[in-house]
Amino acid sequence: MKRHWFFILLSLADRDRHGLAIMRDILELTDGGLKLWPVTLYGSLDELCERGWIRALDEPPPGSDGTARQRWFRMTAAGRRVLAAEVDEMQATARIATRRLAGAP
Amino acid sequence: MREEYGEILDAAFEHELRDARATGASPFLVWIRAASDVVRRAPYEHWRRRGRPNRREHRMWFFLADLRYAVRTLTRQPGATAMLLTTLALAVAANTAVFTLLDGLFLRSLPFQHAERLVYLNEKAPRWNLEFTGINYPDFAKWRDRAHAFEAMGVWEDLSVNFATGDGTPERIDAAMVSYDFPSVLGVRPVIGRLFTPAEDVPKGPKVVAIGYDLWQQRFAGSNDVLGKTIRLNSDVYTIIGVLPLAAEFPNRAKLWMPLGEDPKWPYSNYYLDGVGRLKPNITVAAAEKDLYDAHAPVWATTDTMRNVSPRVMLLRDRLVSSYRTMGSALGAGVALVLLIACANVAGAMLARSVFRRREIGIRIALGASAGRITRQLLTESLALAAFAGVVGIPLGLWALHAVLAINVGFAPRWTVFAAGSHTVLFSLGVIVATTVLFGLAPALELRRQSVHGALGSSTTRVSTSGRDRRLLGGLVVIEIALATVLLAGGGLLLRAYDALRNADPGFRPDGVAQFRLTLPRATYKPGLSQKAFFEGLVSDLSRLPGVDHAGLVSCPPLGCHWGRFYTAEGAPPLAKDAPNPVTLTRYASPDYFATMRIQFVHGRPFRENEGLARTGFRPIVINEEMAKQLWPSVADPVGKRLTSLGDTSQNWQTVVGVVHDARHYGLSKPMIPGLYMPMTRVDSATDNDSYSLVVHTAGNPVSLFQSIRALVRTRDPELPIIGLKTSRTVLDESFSDARLIAFSLAAFAAVALTLAIGGIYAVLSYVVGRRRHEIGIRIALGAQRRQVGALVVRQGLLLVALGLVLGVPLALGSLRVLSSLLAGVTATDPVTYVFVIAILTITGAFAAFVPARRAAAMDPKIALNDGA
Repeated sequence: MKRHWFFILLSLADRDRHGLAIMRDILELTDGGLKLWPVTLYGSLDELCERGWIRALDEPPPGSDGTARQRWFRMTAAGRRVLAAEVDEMQATARIATRRLAGAP
Repeated sequence: MREEYGEILDAAFEHELRDARATGASPFLVWIRAASDVVRRAPYEHWRRRGRPNRREHRMWFFLADLRYAVRTLTRQPGATAMLLTTLALAVAANTAVFTLLDGLFLRSLPFQHAERLVYLNEKAPRWNLEFTGINYPDFAKWRDRAHAFEAMGVWEDLSVNFATGDGTPERIDAAMVSYDFPSVLGVRPVIGRLFTPAEDVPKGPKVVAIGYDLWQQRFAGSNDVLGKTIRLNSDVYTIIGVLPLAAEFPNRAKLWMPLGEDPKWPYSNYYLDGVGRLKPNITVAAAEKDLYDAHAPVWATTDTMRNVSPRVMLLRDRLVSSYRTMGSALGAGVALVLLIACANVAGAMLARSVFRRREIGIRIALGASAGRITRQLLTESLALAAFAGVVGIPLGLWALHAVLAINVGFAPRWTVFAAGSHTVLFSLGVIVATTVLFGLAPALELRRQSVHGALGSSTTRVSTSGRDRRLLGGLVVIEIALATVLLAGGGLLLRAYDALRNADPGFRPDGVAQFRLTLPRATYKPGLSQKAFFEGLVSDLSRLPGVDHAGLVSCPPLGCHWGRFYTAEGAPPLAKDAPNPVTLTRYASPDYFATMRIQFVHGRPFRENEGLARTGFRPIVINEEMAKQLWPSVADPVGKRLTSLGDTSQNWQTVVGVVHDARHYGLSKPMIPGLYMPMTRVDSATDNDSYSLVVHTAGNPVSLFQSIRALVRTRDPELPIIGLKTSRTVLDESFSDARLIAFSLAAFAAVALTLAIGGIYAVLSYVVGRRRHEIGIRIALGAQRRQVGALVVRQGLLLVALGLVLGVPLALGSLRVLSSLLAGVTATDPVTYVFVIAILTITGAFAAFVPARRAAAMDPKIALNDGA
């Protein structure tokens, strides 16, 4: 899975967010390591929508101070499954890697 | 994508910019990164959204592949590519900057309807040596009544007025006195209220004023009930009758308009007004001038039987930009040369690159790539370069232009707008296409033609083609050097002229002098004696300030205003009808003025205190060398000679008591005209001069006097604004600012040109050394000295320089004569400049050859021979 897809899904895992919030959340998650500039960000969001892993909300969730210029996104059940599978795989890879590193001279 | 997300993307970008500003990061960097985000992602998004692949889709895919390949090829040689990109971006930036400047000055239409029909009106007097005399109102009144070629015409006078702001600090603001028909010529309509009626434009008419948009917003918060309110101007009360639109701040951003109130029948009217007219459709300027001559006929029949003064008509825009013409063409030509050099540079680089890629392309063709496919590939590479040059060069050029204009405030006229309009973008795109595609693609196509046959063929073909390539490359470099010679010589000449200007003798010593001007309102100071009493009192107070050793008074300081009169020497024969009769700059000065400004006396002495009082009947004057030469060409020391005003029948003889080496009143690059000083004692109740400049000399830093000068003026009249309190050094330096700007711009272009040409020498020699490594290796193996080998390469570099100079020096000598109007103090063939140019090109050329020479000298014959054999 592409790195920015992964982080977008991760960002939407605990709550709905709008584009700017996703960008900021990813910046925080990666400790400033990954910054999604606008075209890449919205392009990727669009791609994920097409795949059915996330969907765009028709209107901002109640209680948010969102304006009409922001678009909110929510992770779908399919998205959650894909993310979980990805995390499992990463964990497996990490375990193998740890073992190999530990065994190395 | 754009329809769907445009607004959001825009918002996101704005947000990034805000963030950057908040954290102090450079918005330019954000711009670049956002742009690179678009460039990287956009093709993919396009492709993704296209749906099923079709033929176009297929092509798109190829384009993307080509693009990726191009980027990879270009980044494989990062040094060379960076150099190419820098060249292109700089050339595009320079061209964008200069074009935007020229567009704003010469192409953009003036902010009025049918501006192409607007003409500037004035009068000329060749016998008086005056191109523009200013319009005499009675003359104008005749034109207005009798001319047929005009829809409307009006006159105005630029001036400044004391504006009482109400909070204690008086302000001097720019204003215009206009005839009632002036607004209708320009098509200006008031935002609210009304403008002047003919009944208001009469002598001693009602005190009404139309305020400018800025003043309305700043002082009255744009409120509608401003009409009927009053403001204090020149200590008098004026009623506001209307508000002007922004476009009316023309030509000198007048903050308010007042009716001119001139009398068409007044016989002693001065020549001082500017005029503007709107031609009827399809009337030419020449026809309009002829029409005005007819209208002017009664003046020649009555008051001006000598036909000294005649009307003058020119397009308004031409008048406004006339002083920028030579500068504009110099900058335009300079930047075009930079562009040509950049083109040659790109062509050379692409050619050198293509030669090295011959084998690669040959293989691809052999593997079945079609000719079209290869061309497309090469074109894509050029386009990638072009895109970068545009993305970086255009904003860089605009930024540089605004930076330069921000430093040189007052360089451009105030009505100009310098913005990236469609003109600029089209022009810059044209430049980019010219440089990259034409000059980059042509060698590439040449390559394709050759590759099919030669690339995989025998080494003999390679040798012969490389000889041709080398000659082609060498030719390009020679052209670059020739063009760089022209630019270097041009920049050098302008720098020398600027230096000559700075070191020229201004006729006075500006160091240690502070100067300022005061204009007394007529409402509180009666013309003549009351004005004089105020100024003389102020001068004596100024001279007693701590640290001041001299203080003086003059009606027009150097580089200041002008008041011309005509004089004739005692015993001189009357002037022939068409003999030239140049006007004499006439000034009032206090006795200590000459000592304050350190104006040197060639003969005689300055005025004495109270010398020339009316009851004594003695009228002393001080004249300048020009005037002495003019009136008494054969007399060595004209002290004691007498003269009088031309046409003065009452024999009021004025006696020369001193001859000065006069200040260059009109700027150091302009010749001085005859000039004369009268003492303040000649000011009487009939003299109406409300405005004087005061000069103060101190042994220390004159800036330290500013505070006490302000305080002193405030105690004498708190409503009086101080105009232009500066050191005389600053005033003098400001008079050079245009010369400095153009000299440094051209020098900057010359530096770019030099860098490019030197880069060209380096590139071609590196290429030659690379191609001839077999030969060099053999020579070294056969016992040639390494030093000799190195010297061979350096000699080759110097040969290129020599050929370039042989071509470039005559070109420069021939073409730089166009600069002569900008070159006061040096000739266009100044030998020092040319020696310097030749030296700098030779030295830097040798330097550029040195690196490849060392590489050649250090070559290991074994490796060189093994490598390609």
